[in-house]
Amino acid sequence: MRAELRGRVLVGGAILAALVLVGVYLAAGGSSYTPEKTLDPCQHRPWSDPQGLGEIANQFTSSALDGAACQLGVSRETLARALATPQARERFSERYGIDDAKLARAVRAGLLRAVTDAEDAGALSPLLAGPLRATIEEIPLDQAIELINNARSLLSTAQGFLGPAENLLEGLLP
Amino acid sequence: MSAAVPRPRVAALALAVGLVLADSSIVVLALPDIYRDLDTSVAGVTWVLISFNLVMALAAVPAALLARRVGPGRTAAVGLAIFAGAGLACGVADTLSTLILARCVQALGGAAAVTAALELLPATVGSERRAVTVWASAGATGAALGPAVGGILTELVSWQSIFLIQVPVALAAAVPILAVAKHEAATGILQTELRRTGRPHLWANLALAMVSAAIAAALFLLVLLLIEGWRLSPIGAAIVVTAMPLAAILGSRLGPLVPSTRARAAAGAILVSGGLAGLAFLPKAEVALTLPPQILVGIGLSLVLSALTETALGGRAPQAIHGGWTISARHAGVVIGLLALTPIFTADIAQQREDAIEAGTAVILDSNVNPLLKIDLAQQIGDRLEEEKGKVPTIGPVFESLPSDPTDRTAVEGLRSELQDQLDRGATHAFSPSFLLGALLGLLALLPIALSRRVDL
Repeated sequence: MRAELRGRVLVGGAILAALVLVGVYLAAGGSSYTPEKTLDPCQHRPWSDPQGLGEIANQFTSSALDGAACQLGVSRETLARALATPQARERFSERYGIDDAKLARAVRAGLLRAVTDAEDAGALSPLLAGPLRATIEEIPLDQAIELINNARSLLSTAQGFLGPAENLLEGLLP
Repeated sequence: MSAAVPRPRVAALALAVGLVLADSSIVVLALPDIYRDLDTSVAGVTWVLISFNLVMALAAVPAALLARRVGPGRTAAVGLAIFAGAGLACGVADTLSTLILARCVQALGGAAAVTAALELLPATVGSERRAVTVWASAGATGAALGPAVGGILTELVSWQSIFLIQVPVALAAAVPILAVAKHEAATGILQTELRRTGRPHLWANLALAMVSAAIAAALFLLVLLLIEGWRLSPIGAAIVVTAMPLAAILGSRLGPLVPSTRARAAAGAILVSGGLAGLAFLPKAEVALTLPPQILVGIGLSLVLSALTETALGGRAPQAIHGGWTISARHAGVVIGLLALTPIFTADIAQQREDAIEAGTAVILDSNVNPLLKIDLAQQIGDRLEEEKGKVPTIGPVFESLPSDPTDRTAVEGLRSELQDQLDRGATHAFSPSFLLGALLGLLALLPIALSRRVDL
């Protein structure tokens, strides 16, 4: 093969190899291999059909965090980590300039949104929703945070509030 | 002269060149360990690499002039002694500033040894063409093998051993050269004929600088991705990046088949760029997927570096001065590459880390584990974030104590792999813009390559 032709073959081969590699990697999802984007907390997150208290508590927590995060202008995920411990809450308050009063308002708003979402989804009876709203409006910040962190206990408390009948709550929940 | 010169001297000169040029990249795999041991920042530890390459870039031509003036044998021997002494200082350094200072002195000695070696080689091997081939091959081999050797030493011994082991090697390389130095001292006769220095080959040296910046990106970023992003051990990363020098050996076999230096340089630059683009678009955090891009980069670097060095030195004299220019261009390219890329990827890694943690927290919140456990996991992840500021966090400890409830345990184990996936995505994607910038630099080198003309030796 002539020297000039060999040079052209080498350059052509290099171009082909580079294009094939990049093409295969892009086709295999190379451009979309990024962390998944988190959802805007102000957008309504539809409830799936909940089965039992545990699942309702999970979705309730998620709705409450969404509502509070929306009010504060942060992501649901950032708020969840911030509410986990008093130290994390302090760091969060410093970073975003959010005092306890503002946080308390947001957390209560989040809990109220969760009650409404649960009610709209048919997961919570209006009979339970009313007392829950009243409780949420009155509680201090630490207890409100505790309620987000432990929605199961909130719902159980509501059950207790309605009376000792063991099966009543399950009856009220679809 | 050449008939009387034993092979050990050629081997010693090649070893000296390989050793010094390996040093520009040998610490790449040790950087994470140095980063931890000396308690510095990513940007700070990069200067362990940058300082060496910067001084090499600045000192190469003056060192070549010195070699011409006082004799290449003496310059090479003294240069290797300085290199060894500074290597010892690097090995015992306990602060970043001491290490960087010792690296600067090491580069001064290295520049003297490498450029003087090129002045000695033609007389040693019998022809300028052969001398350039030996010199360029030794340099390319050293640069390509450097990271793997450094990684193995870091893992098996310590990062300090990388420098300490260079001391006897440099001194061993200096021994056969001492005979030339003694001859120069005794006779006052330089082995090389003093000739007028022509202008350096602008386009070939410019292309060398751009390609070197791209290759630095490939080596440095890939190692950081493997160790800091995907959490491989230094020896694991060393084994992985061995693909590049192995491919470079294959590339060196291809070179002689194509006489046109411009075609080899162009093909090499395209392969380096293609490989870097491949690393920018990795579809998964899997080591095997880095191999095809590394093969392209390895073959490419071998083709382009040797072709451009031949072009820059072809028909030009004295060789040491023009060799000095090529060394200067290569190391300046590495410095520019590192300086340009470091702020980009450190910013990207910080952003991707945040995004990965957000995505990971979302995975936990949307899971079916009980809310108290969720909040506990979110809290522990938050704590890891605080502990590992600026790095991709290790999530293993968060999941060390699994819940006793079998349902929760299964759910948490699923969460762990989903969360790890988000972190892998973040770590991998953080390097993409820097790899792409490296690919662009490699492609831009095609312009000066197109403008370069080689004068045959």
